[in-house]
This record gives sequence, C-alpha cells and structure tokens, in this order.
Amino acid sequence: MKNIIIGAVVLGMLACSCNKDLLNTSPKDQYVESNFWESQPAAQAALAACYGVMTGSGLWGGDATPLFEEGASPNAYDYDNTMGFNLIAEGLQSASSGGIIPGRWKACYTGIGRANTFLVKVDDVPMDAALKARMKGEAYFLRALYYFTLQNYYGAVPLITAAPDRATQSDVKRTDRKVVIAKVLSDLDSAASVLPLKYTSTDVGRATKGAAMALKAKVLLWEASPLFAGANDAAKWQSAADAALAVMNLSGTGYGLYADYRGLFLPQNENNKEVIFDVQFIYPDLGNSFDLIDKQYNTNAPLLDIAQAYGMKNGLPITDPASGYDPLHPYTNRDPRLYQTIVYPGDTFMTVPVTPTRFAITGYGLKKYSIYDKGAAPAGKSDLKAGQSETNYIILRYADVLLMYAEAKNEASGPDATVLSALNSVRSRAGLPGVAAGLTQDSVRTIIRHERRVEFAGEGVYYNDIRRWKTAEQVLGQAIYKYDGSKLEARKFDPARDYWWPIPQTELDLNPNLTQNDRY
Amino acid sequence: MKFVMLLVFAALYLPLQAQQVTVTGRILSGKDQTPLAGVSIQASANRGTVSRNDGSFSIAATVGGALQLSIEGFLPKEVKITRAELGLIVLVPTQKSLDSVVVVGYGTQKKVNLTGAIATVNMEEKQGQPITNVSNALHGVPGLFVNLSNSQPGVDRSTIRIRGIGTLNNNDPLVLVDGIEYSMDELNPADIASISVLKDASAAIYGSRAANGVILVTTKKGQGDAKVNYSYYYGKQSTTFMPDAIWDPIAYMKLKNQAELNEGKTAVDYSDADIAEYQNGMATDPFTYPANNWFDIALNNGTIQKHDVSVAGSTDKSQYRVSLGYLDRNGVMIGPNNHEKKYSVGLNLSVNVTKRLKVGLNLDGYYRQYTQPFYNSFWQYLTRTLPILTDTLKDGRYGNSWLRTPGRNNWENPRMIAYTGYSRKVVQRFLASTFLDYKLPFDITYHAQFGADKYDGLLDEFTPQVQSFNPKTLAATNWNSPATAPRAGETDYNNLAIHFYNTLGWQHSFAGSHHVSVMLGSSYDNFGTSQFAGSMTGYLDATLTALDAGTIRYATSGNATSDVLESYFGRLNYDYDGKYLLEATFRNDGSSRFAEGHRWGFFPSVSAGWRIDREKFFGESDLFQLLKLRASVGQLGNQAVPLYSYENAIVLGQNYALGGVLQSGAAATTYSDPNITWETTTAYNAGLDAELLKSLSVTVDAYKKRTTGILRTVNIPSQVGGLGGPQENIGTMDNTGIEVSVRYRNHIGEVGYGVFGNLSYNRNKVVDIAGQILYNYNSSISTITKAGYPIDAFYLLHTTGIFQSDAEVKGSAFQSASTRAGYLKFEDVNKDGIINGDDRKVIPSSTVIPKYSYGFGLDLSYKGFTLTGVFQGVAGIKVYPTANIAFPFNNGANATREWLTEAWTPSHTNARLPIVTESTGNADNFQASDFWLRSGDYLRLKNVQLSYALPKKWLNLAKISRISVFVNAENWVTFSKYRDFDPESLLNANTLYTYPMLKTVSGGVNVNF
Repeated sequence: MKNIIIGAVVLGMLACSCNKDLLNTSPKDQYVESNFWESQPAAQAALAACYGVMTGSGLWGGDATPLFEEGASPNAYDYDNTMGFNLIAEGLQSASSGGIIPGRWKACYTGIGRANTFLVKVDDVPMDAALKARMKGEAYFLRALYYFTLQNYYGAVPLITAAPDRATQSDVKRTDRKVVIAKVLSDLDSAASVLPLKYTSTDVGRATKGAAMALKAKVLLWEASPLFAGANDAAKWQSAADAALAVMNLSGTGYGLYADYRGLFLPQNENNKEVIFDVQFIYPDLGNSFDLIDKQYNTNAPLLDIAQAYGMKNGLPITDPASGYDPLHPYTNRDPRLYQTIVYPGDTFMTVPVTPTRFAITGYGLKKYSIYDKGAAPAGKSDLKAGQSETNYIILRYADVLLMYAEAKNEASGPDATVLSALNSVRSRAGLPGVAAGLTQDSVRTIIRHERRVEFAGEGVYYNDIRRWKTAEQVLGQAIYKYDGSKLEARKFDPARDYWWPIPQTELDLNPNLTQNDRY
Repeated sequence: MKFVMLLVFAALYLPLQAQQVTVTGRILSGKDQTPLAGVSIQASANRGTVSRNDGSFSIAATVGGALQLSIEGFLPKEVKITRAELGLIVLVPTQKSLDSVVVVGYGTQKKVNLTGAIATVNMEEKQGQPITNVSNALHGVPGLFVNLSNSQPGVDRSTIRIRGIGTLNNNDPLVLVDGIEYSMDELNPADIASISVLKDASAAIYGSRAANGVILVTTKKGQGDAKVNYSYYYGKQSTTFMPDAIWDPIAYMKLKNQAELNEGKTAVDYSDADIAEYQNGMATDPFTYPANNWFDIALNNGTIQKHDVSVAGSTDKSQYRVSLGYLDRNGVMIGPNNHEKKYSVGLNLSVNVTKRLKVGLNLDGYYRQYTQPFYNSFWQYLTRTLPILTDTLKDGRYGNSWLRTPGRNNWENPRMIAYTGYSRKVVQRFLASTFLDYKLPFDITYHAQFGADKYDGLLDEFTPQVQSFNPKTLAATNWNSPATAPRAGETDYNNLAIHFYNTLGWQHSFAGSHHVSVMLGSSYDNFGTSQFAGSMTGYLDATLTALDAGTIRYATSGNATSDVLESYFGRLNYDYDGKYLLEATFRNDGSSRFAEGHRWGFFPSVSAGWRIDREKFFGESDLFQLLKLRASVGQLGNQAVPLYSYENAIVLGQNYALGGVLQSGAAATTYSDPNITWETTTAYNAGLDAELLKSLSVTVDAYKKRTTGILRTVNIPSQVGGLGGPQENIGTMDNTGIEVSVRYRNHIGEVGYGVFGNLSYNRNKVVDIAGQILYNYNSSISTITKAGYPIDAFYLLHTTGIFQSDAEVKGSAFQSASTRAGYLKFEDVNKDGIINGDDRKVIPSSTVIPKYSYGFGLDLSYKGFTLTGVFQGVAGIKVYPTANIAFPFNNGANATREWLTEAWTPSHTNARLPIVTESTGNADNFQASDFWLRSGDYLRLKNVQLSYALPKKWLNLAKISRISVFVNAENWVTFSKYRDFDPESLLNANTLYTYPMLKTVSGGVNVNF
C-alpha cells in the first residue's frame, strides 16, 4: 500500500512536466501574418480592408462626416460642433483639437498602410496574374486617393510607400508636397493602365479606369489652383483640362449626367451612370446615419447664404433686378436644384408643412443624401436612426468632371465653345438655360465657381473649393444668418493660418521630426 | 507539656482555620459572555484549581487574600477576596494570542515565525456589516488601496491595489481561495474565516502572478461540537453625494442664455416670450411647465437584506461545515432594473480515513442574478437632465420638452430609460476542489489538490419600441427606431478553469533547537473561456421576448480563448531555537502568453527574521512579548498581457460592401513584438513587529518594489500605417513606501476597549521608459508618463488667473480668437507668445494611486454591548471630472448652482469661476488645465456598529446559546473637498457617468444554537 502511494506521488509530480505542447495556444478569431498570405480569398479580404477605411469617421463615413464637412463652409452651420468642423469654420481650430483633425490624418495613413502592405504581400499569393494586376491597380488608386486627401488638408506630409515598419518610418519628416503629388499621379497612371472600364454586378464599387483618370484630373486641377500653385500657371490649367477631357472622351464607360438630380442621391438609384466612384454603404452591416442627421439632428443646417446663392429658374442671380426675384415670396421660381437640395420654411417635408421651427437652428434642413422628401417616407423607414442609412457617398461624379474641364480650360485659354458646352450640360440637366457665348474669362470664372457651389451644395465640396481658390478669406470670415436674416454668430478666418489644418499635437509628440504649419 | 503544645497548635491553627473559607465564583469571557472553562486559579503558590465547564470554581483561601486568575488569550486578573462568594468575574481578552497561525503560500505558519510582510483580516470581526462583495470589506488594511468605483447591484466589486501600482497593465493581485485561484467576490462573505495578504517577497512562491501581491482567502471549517448559526440583516441605502444642479427652470433658462451671449452668440436658446410663457404656466400646468428635480425623481432609497444559515462541527474523524446564504438588494435607481439576488451554498468536508490519509471536499457555489436597464447609459442620461424636461404627461406617457434646445434631439427621459426593456444576467459559478493529505514515513507529507472553477452566465436582453411625447403638441418622438426595435438578444458565457497542484513536505528538528522544513511542488492551470451571442429583431410587439418570436436575424458573434500555466516551486524554512529565522523559495513558471523561447521565468526569494525578545541579552522582559526584526528580498513576475500579443495578428471585420454584398476584410491593426516576456518585480522589505505591555502591538514596514520590463503599449506615429502600437517590455518603475500599524487593547474595569490606526505611504516613480514619453495612455484625461514622475501624472496647462479686461487679453500670449474678459488666463511656459500643447506642465500627482491611505478606529465592549467605529481615508490624489454637470452646459446638459453666484461678470470681477459659457462652445476655457483639477482626498466614517448580546439567562429556556442584535451604518459621513460626487467613484474617470457611492443603515440579528 505504501509503495503504491509513493509511486502515485512521483507520477503526480512528473505528470506536469511531460507535455511540452501544453503551453501552445492560438487564437480562434484572427489570423497571424505567417499563415495569412496564401490564397486568393485572403488577398481579396486584404483588398476589401483597403476600401473599408473610407467608411470610417475620419474620411467619408462614420455618422455623416462628409455632411458635417459642409459646416466648415459658408453653406451650413453645425451647432453641435460635430467632429470639430464648427471650430474650423470659426477659425478656432488648434493642434490639440480633437475630431476630424487627428481623425483624418490617422484614417488616411491607415488606408495608405494597408495599400502598401497589399502591394508588397500580394506578390507571394498564388493566383491568376491578370486578376492580381487588376487588384494591384485598385490598391494604387486607393493609395493615391488617400495621399491626395492627406496633402489637400495638411500640406506637406511624410511620404511612405513601403509596408508599415516602425523602425524606418516613425521619424520620417514631412515630404515636399510636390513630391507627394508626383507619386499620386504616377500611382494613378499605373492604376489607369490596368483597371477595367466596368465591372460585373458582383464587383460594383471597385475603382475603374475612369475613376483613376477622373481623380487624376481632380489632382491636376487642385495643383493648378491658387492655393497650391502659387503663381498662375496656364500650363498647369491646361494639363488639368486635358486630363478631364480624357475622361469625357473615354469610350465604353457609359458616363453621362443622370436626368433626375434628386434621384441621383437616392439609394434605389445607386451606382447610376453619373457615379464615377463612391463609398458603398449597406444596411444593416455597414450603414451610415445620413438620414438621421438630415431629418432630425440637423447638424448640417443650411444657412441663408446658400439659399440665396441659388439663382432663379431663368438662370439669373436673385440680386439681378431683371431676375424676377420677389423677397416676399423668396422660394418661387428658383433654380430647381434649390427645391431638390434644401427644405425651407413654407415647404412640405414628409407630408407635413414646414414651419420655421421644424429645422429650428437656421430654418433650413438638408434633404440631399436622405431618402425623405415632400411625400410620405418609404414603408418601414419613417424614423431611421444611427447606422441605418445606406445611401452611398459619391466622391467623383460626371458633373464634377464637366465642371472641372470648364474651369481648367477657362483658366488656361479663356471661355471657348467647349467650356460653355460642358458648363451648359450641367445647367440644362438642372433645368436652367445655358450661358451665352461672348462673356469674358472673369465672368465665366465667376459663373463656373457659382455653378460648382450650387451643383455640389450639401456634399462637403465647397469648403475645399473656397480654400483652393483662396476666396475663403472673403467668404468664410463673415457672420452667418438664419432664414429670416437674423444673425447667428460671427466667424473668423486668418489667411495666414487657416487655409491649412494643423498637424495633430499627438503626432508631433510622437514624431519630433514633424514641423507644424505656420501660426499654430 | 502536651497540653501546652496542643494549646500552641490550637492558637496557631484555629485563627488560620477561622480565616480560611471556600471561595466560589464563576468566570465569564469578556468577549461574548460565555463561561470560561480551564481558567487557572491560584490562591497561593501551591494551592490552585481550574474552572469547570460552566466557568464556576471553588477553592480554599483566606479572606483578605487574593486569587490569581490566568488563561491563554485573556489578560490575567488578580481578584481580592473580600468575601466567600465572589460572584461573576469577567476576564478581558488580549489581542490575538501569540500562538496564532497565519495562512501563507501552500501552507500555514505561526505568526511569531513569519519573516514576510503579511497582513491578516479577521472576517469574524466584520459580522453584521452589510458587505455585498468581499473586496469591499478590505478597506483599511495597511498597504492595501481599495477603491469601489461602481456601486451598481450585481457588479460592485472593488479594485484592490497592494503597495501602489507596479505595472501599466493589469494591477489586480492574485486571489486564491483555499489554495485555488478564484474570485473572492464569488464567495458569500459569511463563509470566509480569514484573509491573508502577502505584500512582499513572501508572495514569490506564486512566481509569475505575484508581482501585484497575493490574497489568500480561507473558508470556515467546522470545529468542536455541532453549532448551528443563523444571521439576518436588513438595511436602507442612499447616495453619498450628488451634484448640486440648477433645478429652477427659469434660472436655468436665463443662465443658459447668458452663457451663450457671453460666448459671442447673438441668438439665444430660450426667447423672452418662451420664458414668460413658462413662468406663467408653471403655476397651473406642471406637466407642460415642470420644475423637475431629476435627481429626486430618478433616485430613491435602496434596500439590502441577507439571510445566512450554517451548520458546522467536527468529530475526531471528520470536520464539516454546510452553509446557505441569500442576498437581496435593490439599488437606488427607480424601476425594476437594478436588482440583485444571490444564493450561495458552501460545503467544507474532510475525513480522516486512516491515521495517515485525510481527504476532503470544498464546494463553494454562487447562483446570482442581477438586472440593469437595456440602455445602460442611465447615469450619463441622468446627468443630461434639465428642469424643463417633463417626467410624464398627465396620462402617464413619457414626456420630453416643448422647448427646442440645440444639442437635445433625442430627449433621454430617465424614467423611460429605467423602465424600458431589461437586461438580466444570471450567473452560476462554483469552485469545487478535492484534496488529499497523506503522511508518508520519515516525516514526509504529501498534499494534492484539484479544483474546477466553472462559470456559466446568460445575459438576456429585450427592448420594446418606446416613444416620448411633447407635452404641448403631443407629437411623438421615437427613442429607438421602429426598424430595429423591439429587439431581443442573448449572450452565453461558458468558462472552465482547471487547477491542479501537489506538494511534498518534510519537517524535522535536529538537536532540539534546529528546525528545518522543506517543501517542493508543481502545479498546472488551464483557463478556458467561450462565449457566443445572438440577437433578433422583427417582432410584432413587445409581448413575446424569445429569439424564436422574432423574424430578422440582427447579429451573431462568438469566440473562445485558452490560457495555460505550468509551474515548479519549492521552499526551505530553517529556524534556530525560534530566534533566528530563515526562509528561501523559488518558482519556475511557464506561460502560454509568450512566444517559445520566452515562456519560462525563474523567481527566487529569501527572507530572514530575528526574534530579539528571545535573545539572552534581552533577558526576561515584562515590556516586550515579541520584538522581531525581519527583512526579505525576492523576485516576482507579472504575465498580464492580453492573450496572443506576441503574434502579428491579421484581424477580420475590416469589411466593405462590393456588389451590394458585404465582403470580408482583413488587415493588421496593431504592431506586435514577438520578444515580449514577463515583467519582473524585485521587492525589498524590512519590517519590525513588536508586542508590548501585553496590550499594544506595532508593526512597521518599509519597502521598495522595482518593476522592470514593464509591458506597455507603445504609441507609434499614425504615419506607420495607422497601426496601434505594440506591447513591449520597456520601462522601469519604483514603488517605495512605509506602512505603520498600531493596535492597543486594554480594559478599564469591565469596559474593554481597543484602538487601532494605520498609515501607508506610497511613492510611485517611473525610473526609465527607454527615453520615451507616453501620452494619455489610459484615458482621455491629459496625462503623461515620463521618467522622474509618477505613472500617468497629470499634464496640464497652468492657470494664473482670470482676464479682467479685453486689453489684458491683447497684452498676453495668444490663446484663441475667442478669448475675452472673464476667460481663464494660462501661463506661457516657453514664452513663445502662443498658448498651446508646449505650455503644459507635469503635475507630480498620479491619476491612479494616492500617496497616503490611512485608517483608524476603536471598539468598546461592556457587558453585552460592543461598539466599533472605523474611519478610512486617502490623501495625495487628484481627479479630473469633465463633461455633463462637471462642466456647465456641456452639449445641452445642465450646470451646477455655483455658476449662478460664483462666476465672473463685469460687475463681479473678484470671482472664483470664469465667466459662464457653455463648455462645448468654449474650447479655450475648458481645455486641459489645472483649473479643473480637483482634490480626490477623502476621509470617511466607513463603518460604525453597535451590537448587543442578550444575557445568557434569558436564552437557556430556548436552547439558544447566543443571540446578538446589531445596528450598523456604513459610509455614513464623508469629508471631502470635492462635493459634487463621491471622489472614490471618480478615480481615473473623467465623467460622472457612474453608479454613485452609497451609504447604508442596517440592523440585524445573529443567533447561535
């Protein structure tokens, strides 16, 4: 008996030491780098993740970041200062501001990091060569999009094209903006050479050849604009015009203006012929909150300024005595896009007459990008809450290409027939008469800039336009008004500082080689 | 001659005979009035007797002499013999006898022989206190910082820190129940006999998880004749502090308007017409024009009650204890959703099968359920209430407000939140362990123990679709979208942890004075978790709540993890004549959390003690019963990184919709370092234990803990792919400190009293983090971790005053374009003319650990009455509350009343607060500065209890051996500078969105059969 016990004791002591694999455990819900890059589905998942960054709040997703961005411009007012855009409108942003300023920096670099990793690692994956080349083209497009966005707001930014590596990349300095742009353009050229014109229905949403070329036109137009170019350079405008023309002349894309301006932004018409590239949302897995913001929170409340920017149906501005504008009935006979973009007092919204207290902040609400209109809401969707909207956000559309061409060509060589033809296509889709020939370059410039403002109202575009034209110092540092002319608040704009966003303080803390923008 | 001798004898003898009588009496214990048997009664050097079982004695003695009474555990007493019948004599108990035994790692040791810094908590003293979770009972133990940050029924566990913060990761100490790792909060406090806290290298026997200290919990075992015990208490609870908000609606509206004007806005929220209408309407229609104090409406008194019954005893072959407990607690929130019920069962059984073999079974099980609201941000919503928010309409429907307030789109009516839907958690957890002790020949003993810790939890949630109504227009506003509500969800948690350890021990004495004992052991621990969840929507209405009654599958998720530990350890004890004590331990641990090649860590320790009072040169001293110097040094480890941190993980969930369908996306989101390994803490301790005057005991400890290789997520710049930083072993941190604890017991006549006090001082300093500076690691409070300062020290702008005029603003460093008179003025530290992040200063006060923790108290006993009072406090810590209520008008929330009277205005320039503005519209005043830094110091009357044990003679009829009744008040009085919320709840939190700290008044009864 004793011996049995002693034997059992010794065994008990030893039992713990025999199995070396006892300490091996691995996770059940994630892969590890060493075993991931081995199949085509894995490569596709990695590419999907490169797109996925766009749905974050730092770029064009979150709740409704592109709609909030309108609040940084004279078009809208965000009383809640969502993501810090109202501080930017007021000229009060600083390096330690939270919200979009650090958010966009990080989101862009997340996308860049994923694209860089993909471009390096996908070479190891055994798969069809043509498909691999196309997928790499998509990654080039996305990387270019992220770098373009980054340098647009912050100026010179560290240019990194290798897979993320802390040792070599943590202290990279800000690279000259022109070098960054050169890389963006070369990436877009690489992309355009391999991307298809169209995709089958299972791949709708991926970058196309037209998207790469349209983005290139946009980059060149920005480069030619006063903020980025410095002195006026007609050659730059000309290359922008050429790039836009290349998109217009690209056959097989099927691009055109969608006849119904309001319908362009409804989810049932998504991916129509005018959309060149957009951010895809679906419900319930990956939605946004556009409807909640437009209908209820009203944190992108349009201001009197944009309501008065729309002309009359006859194409004349309301300040023109011949236009027929009646201050007592300010909303009759206006540019049809006004009724299709904003909700105003006296309108009807969701079958209810709109009083000035319906959208009490400014009196106006935005209806673009929401599913709600004059009539009853679609069944079961009368009160969509956060994350329940699935309207795609359009980054590039054909109307933009036309107006880019018109602006660039006008700046390069004056208003010729092609300029007016492009401009008038957009106007006539809107229901306005065309602009006659014989106007000066300056007048046409004013008309084109005005057209961009009303065509893209509510889409988060105007803020970047007034920055690149350097007109923000006139239009943004003003007081803002409600529908009845009462003043809401005063805004400030410091031209020496506020054309650029500050590098976030946390980034400066972590990389001492980064220098801050002026006056921050 | 013979006659003379007889006379002489008679003369000598008779007087003696005449004085000698039989003296009788009865001796009772001063602790609980029970008879004391075995008391030694000496009438003279050679005449003595011993008291009987009923405490009575009789002895022949002379009247006028004295009797000496003595017994272990009580102060000796001299009783003058004034007459033959002395009646009742009460003996006063001493402090714990010197022979008491303390539970240490893998065994027990006599207290006098301890060489480590070990604090013990006697849970019997806490009987009657309304303790819901054991961790809440550890306030006031020297060296322990106990913080209860969330008092919600069901989840109110305290965080415990032993000797400061040693790491930047998990700082929780290791808790073992009867030798097996388990959570002490899953035990009925009435089942716990004692708790030992191993604070220094004495914990090194637990190696890799001992760096934060070790807490050993021992459950009650049966002893002696069968005893049945029943106890019950009932109490009422209320909050300690709530903010003093503005509940007058007119004052609120006017102040809000003023705040907006002060910011430079031209449009205000509440027009004069609205305010006038409101003022007129308040008298007649309180539903549309309410003046609601929401803290009064949404909070009521909570209740707590507990029943415990146990049977325990032992025979010469076995020991047993069976216990059952029931706790029912209703919190302070209105509605059914803060209720807690706990049923516990405990079984401790051991049998001496043969002379050599003893086997046993310990089973501790808990079945508990608690509820919380489905939308569990109740406290955040409560801080957003305004006096103009209607509670209910006249017909009972939930109300909101007819006044349009920007920032308030979705009125969160707290009554609606409290009553809408439910979230119920049911947990069944038990620890079952079996053990065997076998006595081998040659003084070798073998002990093996196997434990299973099974956790089964089910979370069941449901919400209906609910609306609130505008009191004027009766328009409905949906709180939740009809597209996704009603909605039900269920989550299942299924964890199993297996523990096994065995030890061989050998004890021997050589040559009478050399005592040696050796222990060797090995252990294996496997922690497995698994969970899955499903939720469903598409319900017709809110009547049916099962998942099957819905139609649209909303979401599912699930995961499982596994974590393994293997160890070998040993200990050697040697003492010479009880005078010189030596102990050495080692432990070799392997963990699955690190990569191969980095998995094993070796942790040794050595400690020594010197019983000065046993030295010959010390002599026989009546002054000192014990005087011991001790010192220890050892290495302990911490393996607390998140699982799988050493591998570069590619996570899923980075999805995107292509072709109208969600495509799976995978990407790396954090960097990882495959070389990570244990954190190592080297702990030094020197201590002095003294017991003097038979009534005073003093313990002093001085310590230093140096932690190296601290595992920490290092932030990397976003330009590196936007990746989260890796966990790395960087950094060295020191915690140094002193603990002093004093206890005194004595008696004045029949009144026994005891006084205790303790003070712990801890200084935390980061010695080195590879030259890096880490920002805002743990929270959105502005903190910095930098060499030379405490961990997570505040990093804030310095405020120098309030601008008195716009001219002064122009003449000072640039703050923002909106700065004007009445705003805070900050110091331009680097004198560059701009106030920005470079002007922040480090405030050498940690956000997470106080410099001083202290406690003191007294207890009195007289006849059957006992009164105890304990104070507990901390000092040297700061808190930084922000957001709703802590800052005025934060995103549409309310403000505190001080803004009505103490804010700067052009006519009241000598003000404490700056000009009133909304905090969300004023990024200048409300940025991170030391103006908003508050003191987190507090002193609390933690517990005061009065109990009375009924006299024996009343009880004899009912065969009850003892009944005592008691009343108790917990957290009754708190002194603190910050009065808007309890500072204990705000530690390292930056909002007031937490269940408030509660104070309790209770009473109950305890019966022994």
